[in-house]
Amino acid sequence: MNRRIRRVSRWIDDLLHDRSPRGFRGAEDEATVLATAIELQNASPSAGLPDPQFVESLRQRIARETQGEVPHAPRFSRRALLASGGLAAATAAAGVLVGERLTSPSTAQHELVPDAGAWTAVAVVSDLPEGTARTFDTGSVRGFIVNRGGSIAALSGVCTHLGCLLQLNTAARRLDCPCHSAAFGFDGSVLFKHMPDTLPPLPLLETRVRNGQIEVLTV
Amino acid sequence: MESGSQPGEAGRFQVIDGDRPLDWERVYRDHVTSIYRLLYGKVGNQHDAEDLTSQVFLEALPRLRASASGGEIHMYLVTTAKTVLAGHWRRRLGVQVTEIDENVVTAEAQTPPSDPLPRIRRILAKLPANYRRVLELRFLERCSVGETATRMGISAGNARVVQYRALQRAAELGQEVGV
Repeated sequence: MNRRIRRVSRWIDDLLHDRSPRGFRGAEDEATVLATAIELQNASPSAGLPDPQFVESLRQRIARETQGEVPHAPRFSRRALLASGGLAAATAAAGVLVGERLTSPSTAQHELVPDAGAWTAVAVVSDLPEGTARTFDTGSVRGFIVNRGGSIAALSGVCTHLGCLLQLNTAARRLDCPCHSAAFGFDGSVLFKHMPDTLPPLPLLETRVRNGQIEVLTV
Repeated sequence: MESGSQPGEAGRFQVIDGDRPLDWERVYRDHVTSIYRLLYGKVGNQHDAEDLTSQVFLEALPRLRASASGGEIHMYLVTTAKTVLAGHWRRRLGVQVTEIDENVVTAEAQTPPSDPLPRIRRILAKLPANYRRVLELRFLERCSVGETATRMGISAGNARVVQYRALQRAAELGQEVGV
């Protein structure tokens, strides 16, 4: 019995660290214990959407292993996407999932500038290392500040589909919509979506750094 | 003049029963998220979910008919996932820990994914205090066995035993609580 308890505990350790649990010769009654552990694990916020890098690499593997040529992944129109933003255009070599082309005018990225805005400090620069993002909430605007290669920007935190509040997925470095399986990159571009509707990128907000504070222009 | 596939059709599968090529990229794009989520829910970790998702598409796509409807394609992918998952547990543990019920999956596909937390909270609420505590510390607060033991004031060995018993009891309650 002790052996069984130890191996189940080790199996759970693997699960909780998002590792592939090591196998053993399990007994029937252990199966229900392990199934319950999986159910509890699935309540974790990290459970859910596939990593865009995995999705793209599997797409290429399918093309390769079925002896088809690897088709070029349709790329987003970076020019349209970043027309009004100040971000460098590099997302996605690694992360952009093959998706629909986002070239229509309605998919240009806009900037959210309030008529009578004020600068609001939302974080300290040192709390936002390169490649990371943080949530902010000014009461009127909820969004994310991101540090992409030393360039700091702020994005609206509301999904452009039906207005659900996006969730920061730190591990996958993206912003997930909990409602309809869509996700945005840290530059606001659509990484993937599950709905047929056109999905505009996330609006940018004006940002500046003053005295080590990141400030966002908001109301 | 050559006939057959055009340059723009590179990467498409040749069909088994017709002239029209299967737009496999579209099939893949439309279904990869739902199949991944389905499998993640059954194995609880990214590594295995990715491995099994890969198996499903590599096995199923070459067999799909171009004339299949979206619903038929989804069902075929789910059925393939069921077989792939069964093989995973057979190899890994020799027992079927979780399985895929096609009828449940089809019904769930009509609705947004439900939040698992309310059901888990209901189960936890019915557990004895020390059982509830160990599961909260381990699964919700992500504590190690050592941290869990310290916070509960018991030995690490005892924490493992309580964890095992708590999961057994939670499994029984899960049957009673339902979905």
